[in-house]
Amino acid sequence: MSDTPVLGTVLRAAGWAGLGLIAVTVSLSDFLARAPAGSTQSGAMLHAPCDAHPFGTDLLGRDMLSETLHGLSQTAFHALLGAAVAVLCGGLFGAVAARLPRPVALTLRGVFGIFAAVPALLLTILAIGLSARFYAPLAAGLAAAPLAFVRAFDHVDIDSTHAEYARATGIPALTLLKRDLTFEFRRMLGSVAARALAAVTIILSTASFLGFGAEPPARDLGLMIAAGKASYLTAWWTAAFPALALILLILCARLAAGLDEGERP
Amino acid sequence: MSESGPLLEISELNVAQDGETLLERFSLRLEAGESAIILGESGCGKEALLRVLGGFPDKNDSITGSIAFAGGESRSAAKRLRPPIRIAYLPNPLSQPFAPHASVLDQLVRIVARKQGAPLGSAREELRLALERLSEAVTPALLDAKPGRLDPVTQAIALLAAVSAGTPDLVLADHAMADLGPGAVRMMLELLAAERKRLGFGLLYVTGGLQPPARLGGRVVVLRAGRVVEEGDAARLMSGHAHAYTSLLFRALPQLSFEAVKPRPARGQPLLQVHALGYGPAPQDSLTFELRRGASLALVGEDGSGRRALLRALLAFEHAPAGRVIFDAVDLNVLSQKMAARLRRRIAFITGTDECLDPRMSLWDTVEEPLRAHLNLTGELIAGYRETALKRVGLASHDGDRPVASLSPFDKRRLQVARAIVGAPLLVVIDEPLRGLDAFGQTILREVLTDFRITHEPAFLVVTSDFTVAQSLAEEAMVFHEGRIVERGAIADILREPREAASKALIEAVRLPALPPGQASV
Repeated sequence: MSDTPVLGTVLRAAGWAGLGLIAVTVSLSDFLARAPAGSTQSGAMLHAPCDAHPFGTDLLGRDMLSETLHGLSQTAFHALLGAAVAVLCGGLFGAVAARLPRPVALTLRGVFGIFAAVPALLLTILAIGLSARFYAPLAAGLAAAPLAFVRAFDHVDIDSTHAEYARATGIPALTLLKRDLTFEFRRMLGSVAARALAAVTIILSTASFLGFGAEPPARDLGLMIAAGKASYLTAWWTAAFPALALILLILCARLAAGLDEGERP
Repeated sequence: MSESGPLLEISELNVAQDGETLLERFSLRLEAGESAIILGESGCGKEALLRVLGGFPDKNDSITGSIAFAGGESRSAAKRLRPPIRIAYLPNPLSQPFAPHASVLDQLVRIVARKQGAPLGSAREELRLALERLSEAVTPALLDAKPGRLDPVTQAIALLAAVSAGTPDLVLADHAMADLGPGAVRMMLELLAAERKRLGFGLLYVTGGLQPPARLGGRVVVLRAGRVVEEGDAARLMSGHAHAYTSLLFRALPQLSFEAVKPRPARGQPLLQVHALGYGPAPQDSLTFELRRGASLALVGEDGSGRRALLRALLAFEHAPAGRVIFDAVDLNVLSQKMAARLRRRIAFITGTDECLDPRMSLWDTVEEPLRAHLNLTGELIAGYRETALKRVGLASHDGDRPVASLSPFDKRRLQVARAIVGAPLLVVIDEPLRGLDAFGQTILREVLTDFRITHEPAFLVVTSDFTVAQSLAEEAMVFHEGRIVERGAIADILREPREAASKALIEAVRLPALPPGQASV
């Protein structure tokens, strides 16, 4: 987290602006791309960046600019799905669970705490193995959910004096939960969602890079980086531009979350 | 220190912030050993004056005017002051002046060492001697703890000891004893007066309350909206021969009435029945009493006397070791949580710390919540009830979307009353309702609460250390001392003929004798 609130606000605003630009780019990817996904151009294999191909071409002669745009589009879409799962099953459930009867709430906190301690990538690979590659975004979202649960759970101040007074005047627990969801979760929803987006993007891309996630002919940035491994030392652009797109997506999400990804409450 | 001129001379001091004038053409001359009390409501400019004199102005403060110390050369007040005299700052212990995670003793020793330019060992010894003079109970060993473990009165004595150990030429007291309870305020003012007499320091006491001028006497400067309304001797200003604003301010000072009043007959069914309720550490700390509908009872005692322990047991915040509490003919302790919640909706709280308000909620949400939680009303009806309640307390013109955290203490207190009004409670628990308010705020809130009681007729359970508050809001009282109830009965009777020393001390703490001109009462 930044030292000064002003700098923190500026960085968060920059992060959201970056995510907005990425969203516009992704939604216009079919128009911005010079060629449809997977289309090859004979005679131009591993061509260095030039006017005709600003990002160069890959081993199969595909335009890397078009491929990177298509890859960014698919990766961002899957990451968004996974982040939604993480926010709903993690953040929202954590905020609700904190208000459950204390023994139940603490048991849930303990269980989710154990899952949060396991690397999310391993959980994702395990979940994909138990289901199918198609469910990779769901698996990544569920794997990122425990950490979001723990964060949201610990953020709820159930022992606050105003809550004690409210209970003493007969205000039901449901109303107190509504207070938390209205004033706390709504306030932190942006950072929870952005943090989940960054986490799920890393998990999905890494899983694809390792061969556990998306498989050809799907376009995925992790998969594209993996495909560029063979030619990277001689044709750096085959892996560098997909990696750059991935870095931009993750950096913007982390900036939007306030740069506190990885911090435990 | 030079002997040739006044200790402090402020000339034409102006302080403004973002175009708003906080202090206008303020001048003051204070001789060595003299005291002056700066009196006014919140925002009258006294805070700005302290910021300038204390050397901690806001970065947005625009300051003009000059200040001279000890007859020296006048310097611009906008520049950093380098006074040739020793100035000590005496804050209010409730303003959390200590760092929370360090020993109070260590923090005070460092302050004394810096003020005296002495080694830490020497400063520690000076502080020990000052503590010995001030109180037998407050020792260096006791102060070797984090501030959260020490009560405010202990902290106040420690702060005064640090001031005294620094042998200052001038002391700036910043609402130093506000909200400590009348008994503690009286004791602290006596200690301050004794130390001033011994060390001969000048005193600039900034306050919004009326106890310091009434007890310390001497020169009083009345400020309003940044301007000096009047300056004169405390005795004259309190006598009524004063500016209309000053007279109004002093009339806000609550006075005990010792006249025999006809007691209101107990009427209605019993609302709160307490049978042998255990509330203290000892087995004999049990209580039996009855509060009828529309009646009122004050639990009077100094902080730490056991009132809140009883209150928490009464309202089942904490499980009482023995006894029964019957509210509206139902035993609270045998009900399920859901059933108890239904009954509890007829209880409202108004606290002096505003801790029963959720700071995140908006003004409107705070008032509407009890209606939405308990009654199935249309939005139109809810808005109607909300507006009526807000009008009753004078908050109807405020922006309804403002978060509670941004409201002033006075507005928060009125908001609590509005929330209580919409709930149509049978019992209102009022805990030190005037704490943290200036004289006018106290008067208005007292009137709002009295009006609430007359129009809605709830029973009042008042927790306070101030008999004037108890008398204005209740008819009967139980006096607490060291964890036990020492006296109970009609307040009028207790005031006329107190039987116990604790009751007498509490009454004496709020009885303000007439001041002879130019003389202190302590």
